[in-house]
Amino acid sequence: MSVTLGQRLKIRSMIYVAAEPVPYFWPMRSFIHHNPLHGLEKMPFDAAVKKGASLFHGKVFLPRSEYQDYLREGQVDVSRLEYEIGRFLADRSAVADLDMRQLLMTLLTKTESPVMLPTLLATAADVQASLQGKTVHDESDRSKEIITARLRQSLLQQRTVYESVDVLYGTDIGTSLDELVIKSCLDFFDEGQSVWRMPNREQGFFRAWREVAKRNIRFSLRGLHIQKILADHETPEDVIHHVMTTLQVPEEQWIGFFTREIARLHGWAGFIRWRANAKHYYWTQRFPADLVDYMAVRLTLALALLGKHEHRSMANTAESIRELIETRPHEAYLRHQLYGGTVMPAMAHRIETALQRNHDGNLDRVFQSYVKQKRADEARRQGDALQDMLAQASMADRLAGLPAAEFERLLDTLRAFEQQEGMCWLRAMESHATNHLLQGVNVVPPGLRDKRPFAQALFCIDTRSERIRRQLESIGDYQTFGTAGFFGVPVSFMELGKGSETHLCPVLLTPKNVVLETSVNGEGAHALGALEKGLHALKDSVLTPFVTVEAIGLLFGFDMVGKTVVPRRYHQWRKYLDKKKPATRLLLDKLTREQADSIVRAVQRAMIVKAMELELGQETETLTDELIRDLRESALGHDESYRRHAGSLGISETDLEQFIERLRKDYRINLAFAQMQLERLGRIGFTLDEQVHFVSTALKSIGLTKDYSRFILLVGHGSQSDNNPYESALDCGACGGNHGLSSARVLAQMANKPEVRKRLHELGFNIPDDSWFVPALHNTTTDEIAISDVDLLPPTHLVYLDRLKKGLTAAARLCSQERLPTLYPAQEQQEPAVAERMMQRNAVDWSQVRPEWGLSGNAYFIIGNRELTKQMPLYGRAFLHSYDYHLDKKHRLLENILTGPLVVGQWINMEHYFSTVDNERFGSGSKVYHNVAGRFGVMTGNISDLRTGLPAQTVLGNGKPYHQPLRLITVIEAPFEHAVQAIDAVVSVKTLVRNGWIRMLIIDPETRTVYTYEDGDWHKQPCAFESASGYSKESYAS
Amino acid sequence: MLSLTLILAAIFLPLFPFSMLFNLLYARVRNPWLRSVILLVWPLIGLTVTRTFSSIPDWLPVWAVLTSALYALRALGLREVGLWTGFMATSSWALLWVLENDGLSAVQLELFAVGISVPLALMAVLTGGLEKRYGAAYLGLYGGLAQTIPRFAGVLVMVVLAVIATPLFPTFFAMLSIIIKAIPVMPYLAMGVGLVWMLWSWAGAKLLQGLIVGPKQAAVVDLGMANMWAYVAILVALVMGGVCWLGVML
Repeated sequence: MSVTLGQRLKIRSMIYVAAEPVPYFWPMRSFIHHNPLHGLEKMPFDAAVKKGASLFHGKVFLPRSEYQDYLREGQVDVSRLEYEIGRFLADRSAVADLDMRQLLMTLLTKTESPVMLPTLLATAADVQASLQGKTVHDESDRSKEIITARLRQSLLQQRTVYESVDVLYGTDIGTSLDELVIKSCLDFFDEGQSVWRMPNREQGFFRAWREVAKRNIRFSLRGLHIQKILADHETPEDVIHHVMTTLQVPEEQWIGFFTREIARLHGWAGFIRWRANAKHYYWTQRFPADLVDYMAVRLTLALALLGKHEHRSMANTAESIRELIETRPHEAYLRHQLYGGTVMPAMAHRIETALQRNHDGNLDRVFQSYVKQKRADEARRQGDALQDMLAQASMADRLAGLPAAEFERLLDTLRAFEQQEGMCWLRAMESHATNHLLQGVNVVPPGLRDKRPFAQALFCIDTRSERIRRQLESIGDYQTFGTAGFFGVPVSFMELGKGSETHLCPVLLTPKNVVLETSVNGEGAHALGALEKGLHALKDSVLTPFVTVEAIGLLFGFDMVGKTVVPRRYHQWRKYLDKKKPATRLLLDKLTREQADSIVRAVQRAMIVKAMELELGQETETLTDELIRDLRESALGHDESYRRHAGSLGISETDLEQFIERLRKDYRINLAFAQMQLERLGRIGFTLDEQVHFVSTALKSIGLTKDYSRFILLVGHGSQSDNNPYESALDCGACGGNHGLSSARVLAQMANKPEVRKRLHELGFNIPDDSWFVPALHNTTTDEIAISDVDLLPPTHLVYLDRLKKGLTAAARLCSQERLPTLYPAQEQQEPAVAERMMQRNAVDWSQVRPEWGLSGNAYFIIGNRELTKQMPLYGRAFLHSYDYHLDKKHRLLENILTGPLVVGQWINMEHYFSTVDNERFGSGSKVYHNVAGRFGVMTGNISDLRTGLPAQTVLGNGKPYHQPLRLITVIEAPFEHAVQAIDAVVSVKTLVRNGWIRMLIIDPETRTVYTYEDGDWHKQPCAFESASGYSKESYAS
Repeated sequence: MLSLTLILAAIFLPLFPFSMLFNLLYARVRNPWLRSVILLVWPLIGLTVTRTFSSIPDWLPVWAVLTSALYALRALGLREVGLWTGFMATSSWALLWVLENDGLSAVQLELFAVGISVPLALMAVLTGGLEKRYGAAYLGLYGGLAQTIPRFAGVLVMVVLAVIATPLFPTFFAMLSIIIKAIPVMPYLAMGVGLVWMLWSWAGAKLLQGLIVGPKQAAVVDLGMANMWAYVAILVALVMGGVCWLGVML
């Protein structure tokens, strides 16, 4: 049976809409920081986190005790906390004559756990009766109504059918289903990790899985009758329709149902969602898959698992569950309590026995008794919690005497406050962080320089650059700038020896231009490298590992001992053996039509020569230019002149004709392919106009338009660690999770080109002839800055090179010294050289789960002049983007900064926020248990959801947050109107600001005023950076 | 007369269906100390009764292993720890019939019985401790004992390991002895005992999984240091006894 085209499209649309709350998940090798609640960013932050918590079953704020720790450490603005309490109470009636301000402050600061417990049956009167030592009234009918309503909500609205079955019968179908779905996904999405691969993958996920599932004996052995479900349904939409109608889920509930299904394994779903949209992705092109396939696989297995329990005569469709609730609510409730894990332990066994016996009279008796006890228990526990809290506020004696209505109001007030308590803490912590920043900023513009600096360095805005920039500035005449690490040039980069393109730009952009890396001396593969590849091939094969271990296992043993015992020295020794990458140049100029034609011709000629050697056994000396040209022309269909060569080649005309046909088909020497090659070649490089545009924009956007120094360093960054699937999470986010050196080399090569310099001069960029753009790489694990393309430096610069290198080394060592205590709190202050060695060890130690803290601790995004925070150590907590509003009259440059870098910064910030507040659900748990899955992700153990967020070792230290979970506090240094216009012009950023995902501040240097966006409006904080303590604000009509 | 004493023996060295009597009684008694006494005394009464037999029928050891397997299998599905202990006791004691058939001396048999019963008695006391702390000793409801009450959890793990016959506890040597003695004469019986042993391990793992692992729960009082050392002393004594047993066997 197949559904109509209209129904198919409807199902596809429903799944598309249902998946929107689930964020993309990129493959691990180019880890992209993302907001786990990206799909909810259209909602205000407080509403979105509430929805996210319910959708992903995660926590969205820290526990109160953690906030109390921050309070003790002075990281919370107490006046703001009081302000939040006042604001909450403003529109609520007073509770008798209780001092609610004091009570709520006590609740926040002295009570560790929530006071209001989840209660279903106990009313305020019951709690009060319990406090007064009276018996709780029995109101069976009322309880039954409440219970039935709660069951409808819990089983029919908040759960899928099998989840409801699990909670009613203790079947654990959900866990089994997740396991089977994960195994299916691992089979299909594998990117080369498995030796035996799933067949027919090119047909798509569902179809390939269907073929395997129909013959899968393990399914039959488990009692899953997959064949029955798949027999009459060929397309994924057919299956989905069939399952949903079989489960009797009303169509208006399908979207919600699909969302819950997708959110169960949101890592896998996010990966499939990303992959389906990444049309350029190699594996998508080869083996297509989307969420409709995923849903079909999931639902088929779910139905089969439900079918496995059919003999137990249980409610296993939405309709039968509804019927159970309506006709036998007592049974449904007792089941829900027992198998949902919320039963009172003391009665668990009695309920289990009653359910097994299934005698109506007995069940009803147990139900009555249980409800009575449960209600009394809820009332007692709630009363005790309340009593304890009021005792801490020295108000315990007031509780018993409260009139019933006032008592009820007290409970309502406390419940409402605890529900939004997280936002109070968050705002108070952000307020403290904001005040701290504003107290340190300097709005005095920089004075005129009497001479140009020794060197200028452009660093990525990454928070790790803040430390090294500060150290570099402190040791000499260095001027530093912050810009997005791809230096504003989106590039699709083809590295030497790699066959695929890497996008070096934020994932928000799609590069149009390709840059090729070519070797200067054209060296081939190194013998040791070939040996290494051979060994890995042996290891990955099905049978050879047995022999390999016996034969050469000892070699790996030496490697293991070296890496474990003396990692730094062993790594240095290995470096001698490993061949260094040869000197390379970048092909970044656009090819002319003639050049492109010539390249295509050369490739075709080379292919023909190879084909003749392989197919016809011809020696090189017999292959004349004329022969090759004729064969090429013939293969392209231009003429038939190849026939005359049959004799000289010693083969028949027929054989030669067949050979030409093979050239066309197998070797793809034909017109269509040649045209495609020409189109691809057309993407290589940049025109001169483009190069001038990129260089000028890069300089102007950071305000570097004068006083150019002799060295202008373009410092990309990357991390170095061993045995770390999360390595790319520590690389440059602005370069798509890759090292930033290639981007630096691209801009340097452009900016050093005489033609570009000439055009820049015409545009007003008076870059002296002796200014040289030098690419470099900042290793964020060791802090080392390595200069690249030194061989291209003009001879006049070599005399200064030593000073430059020494300066960079000194800065690196000081930076290591500063960072060391954050990684090793027990270590005393070490000498810079010792700190440097310890950091180097981290980079090569394969047992090190925390080679560096990465972007952990990020809190600020500062767009403005370096002078604004130059004198203020921010300890790696700030993204620093240089910006001079004087050069940006139309605020276009600011808009660019907001569109790209700020949005990426916000993703990074939110990823850290949620990974900290709930590391198990939004983060990825401990690295210790991670296993690489399919070469694109990691799982915990051997089967789990793909772990999407950051590992515990990145955001937690000793189980406590190392990263302070705050929303990104963004500061723009520019006149108020100028900044607001730029924000309003970028819709995505405007939404983020208005919905509270970013805390936006504008520092107007001309009026020396700070403006903060809050509660839907801009507020002025007078002279904030001079007296930023305490919370006060006045509304500003924007 | 023989049939009456046989029935009596089948009650105290439980054989199905007479085993139901013990489990009924055990379920009714709620006091952990009384339960412990029952667990220690019950098989000894059975052994006293069997002393009157000159020989036991050939089918009886087979029936005993089947009884043992039945209760081991039932223990797998149980969530109430008290009942779990009762079922494990039934499953363990039933196997004494196999040893009875091997011509061991009365003292040796009684030592076997005590070695099996002491961990069960400790289990009964610990069950009481759980009931006192949480209202019930029930799997899958709270869990996370390792983080909430680590000392209690540690002792519980060791006691469960002793119950399910992990080396070097006496139960392990009892099982080993049964299997070694059964293999030459009744290999199928040895296989049956091996299966029962596997079921015990499975049941023990399920019990630990349902109680020990999981996130930390609301704070409750952990086992006192003195109590913990008392448990440790008994467990060490059991291990020492087990090692001595090895000497006897060898």
